[in-house]
Amino acid sequence: MGAILNDIWGNSINAVKLLTTRLGKLELSTPLLVASGTFDLENFEFFDPACLGAFVSKTITREPKKGNPPPRLYETEAGLINSIGLQNPGLDKFIHEKLPVYRDKLSMPLIVSFSGSTISEFCQMLETLEASAGIAGYEVNVSCPNVENEGIAFGTDPDIVFELTRRLQEITDKELCIKLSPNVTDIATIAAAAEAGGASSLALINSLWGMAIDYRTGKSKIKKGIGGYTGCGVKPVALALTYKVAQAVRIPILAMGGIYNWQDALEFIWAGASAISLGTANFINPLAAPELIMGLGEYLLSTKKSINDLKGKVEI
Amino acid sequence: MNSPQYRQRAIQLREELSDEYFILWIWDEALGAAGKPGQFYEIRALSSLANLQTFHAIPKLFKPISIYDNQGGRIGFMIKKVGTGTNALSRLRAGDTLELIGPCGTGFPVFRGRRILLISGGIGYPPLWYLQKELINHNQIYWMHGGGGQADVFPCDEIWTEDGSIGRKGRVCDNLEETITKHEVDTVYSCGPQGLLRTVCEITNKLDIEHYCSLEAYMACGIGVCHGCAVPIGHPEDWTFKRVCKEGPVFNAKEIRWELF
Ligand SMILES: Cc1cc2nc3c(=O)[nH]c(=O)nc-3n(C[C@H](O)[C@H](O)[C@H](O)COP(=O)(O)OP(=O)(O)OC[C@H]3O[C@@H](n4cnc5c(N)ncnc54)[C@H](O)[C@@H]3O)c2cc1C
Ligand SMILES: Cc1cc2nc3c(=O)[nH]c(=O)nc-3n(C[C@H](O)[C@H](O)[C@H](O)COP(=O)(O)O)c2cc1C
Ligand code: FES
Repeated sequence: MGAILNDIWGNSINAVKLLTTRLGKLELSTPLLVASGTFDLENFEFFDPACLGAFVSKTITREPKKGNPPPRLYETEAGLINSIGLQNPGLDKFIHEKLPVYRDKLSMPLIVSFSGSTISEFCQMLETLEASAGIAGYEVNVSCPNVENEGIAFGTDPDIVFELTRRLQEITDKELCIKLSPNVTDIATIAAAAEAGGASSLALINSLWGMAIDYRTGKSKIKKGIGGYTGCGVKPVALALTYKVAQAVRIPILAMGGIYNWQDALEFIWAGASAISLGTANFINPLAAPELIMGLGEYLLSTKKSINDLKGKVEI
Repeated sequence: MNSPQYRQRAIQLREELSDEYFILWIWDEALGAAGKPGQFYEIRALSSLANLQTFHAIPKLFKPISIYDNQGGRIGFMIKKVGTGTNALSRLRAGDTLELIGPCGTGFPVFRGRRILLISGGIGYPPLWYLQKELINHNQIYWMHGGGGQADVFPCDEIWTEDGSIGRKGRVCDNLEETITKHEVDTVYSCGPQGLLRTVCEITNKLDIEHYCSLEAYMACGIGVCHGCAVPIGHPEDWTFKRVCKEGPVFNAKEIRWELF
């Protein structure tokens, strides 16, 4: 463990043990991950990577994607609106240029996030990824609100989610995490469909729909009008959906949505999460990850409880 | 130090320029040695997440602010109060803590033996101040700066204000073609509001003059990970969204695809 973490864990094997958790097929040294699209190797200039249990990369698509026109960002009273539109270099470039760097630089398991527009495209992508070394698992993005007629259509239909998951789990033995959208009528049905299809874990939530308008000019702050809303304002929604999904499935949940600090993280663990991710918080506080792990470690140590002891034990 | 770093530094000195403009000075030799003209920092008045639960005070994003001056570890930020982030910065006094991420982005190329025109509008002034200090011994420089009124203009060779309160009345780009010809300019550097930069680009592209233009964008991370600050750059038939915080903020004027903004 690095210098900052040494303070509390220097000679405390216990805290380290209390923080371990399981996300499907992966044994994680800490329950903390980073949300796809909000974190990359540059962030490791700020803190010791040892506080992360795994690393989730930015969603890739088969073909390169230019992304949405600017402005793409607006910070609201409580949280952020983004309209990136899944800008990414495409599968080939990812495998030949990014993946070797990740293999070289990452000290924790790599979870690759990917998205497609048809079931067969998802399957082809997974087959290609399976042929590459250095990947511990996959986050299947069926939930990006910033691309029309793509991921989101998948994420809203339980039958398609079931079929997609079933096909994907035939291709891989690695961790298969389905990332769900909050922009649905009943997230529990979709979560159950992913579980029935063979997902080994679920990630939630992706961005909510969000919009901001300049009250003086009537002009949208985001070029595309509607974007994805994330950060502290979405926390109550994310917490409710985590709780709902935890009631509906047995596979582990990687929860996110407005988590900024260790107290937030604990709330999601009480609600049923096995692991949590920091997204927008990485922009708000470059040290959000080490501070969260230090706080959580201290809390667990002082209560002599593990993640597993608290998980889903919310008192209603 | 190739990648942006995170630091907390005490403000050494605060300088008042007017009701709206002020300068914050910090001291950091390592950051100073790493910074170049045209680069910027993501900065913020120290905010803590520690009290989020107790006070429900929500920390906000860092704001991109250019390096205004950088000499021997003394780094200056010249800031205009416009909204939430810059107002929070404006409340800082000497001794208070500034959070910094940087130096960010790719700065201006620095040449020798050129006939240079600097053109800035409003809060586009600070990066050009640092730039001209690096250029001045080896180039001929003419600097034009424009703003809304008296409060928005600073020392340079030619001042313009829209209200005519000081200097020439109009927009700083109104006479640009003549100025470029008269001073036999071969290189232009610009920074300022989008409308101004767009006009300057049109003129330098028409005259086929080398022009480095520093763009603004709303930012979240400032370090190239979120792709939130993208602008269209490249050839009309072959362009991509580049990040103002990483590949920018300085772009070659010929490559900025204004028609796609
Ligand atoms: C690379 C880069 C370098 C920069 N360097 C400097 C610098 O050296 N000094 C400096 O003062 N600023 C600089 N800026 C601009 C500065 O980042 C913005 O003014 C700042 O982000 C505004 O944040 P805010 O929270 O105060 O305002 P917001 O709450 O985001 O905006 C408040 C209001 O001001 C308007 N507004 C936003 N930006 C500007 C602007 N630039 N000019 C006029 N109105 C605006 C908004 O539309 C809104 O109506 C730079 C920007 C970039 C991208
Ligand atoms: C700028 C930005 C880019 C994002 N890109 C992706 C992405 O590529 N794939 C994805 O599954 N989610 C993406 N997300 C969603 C996050 O991974 C996460 O689900 C969401 O931000 C909620 O968590 P938060 O409130 O902690 O940010 C993005 C979010 C932001 C703010
Ligand atoms: S602000 Fe995040 S990539 Fe530029």
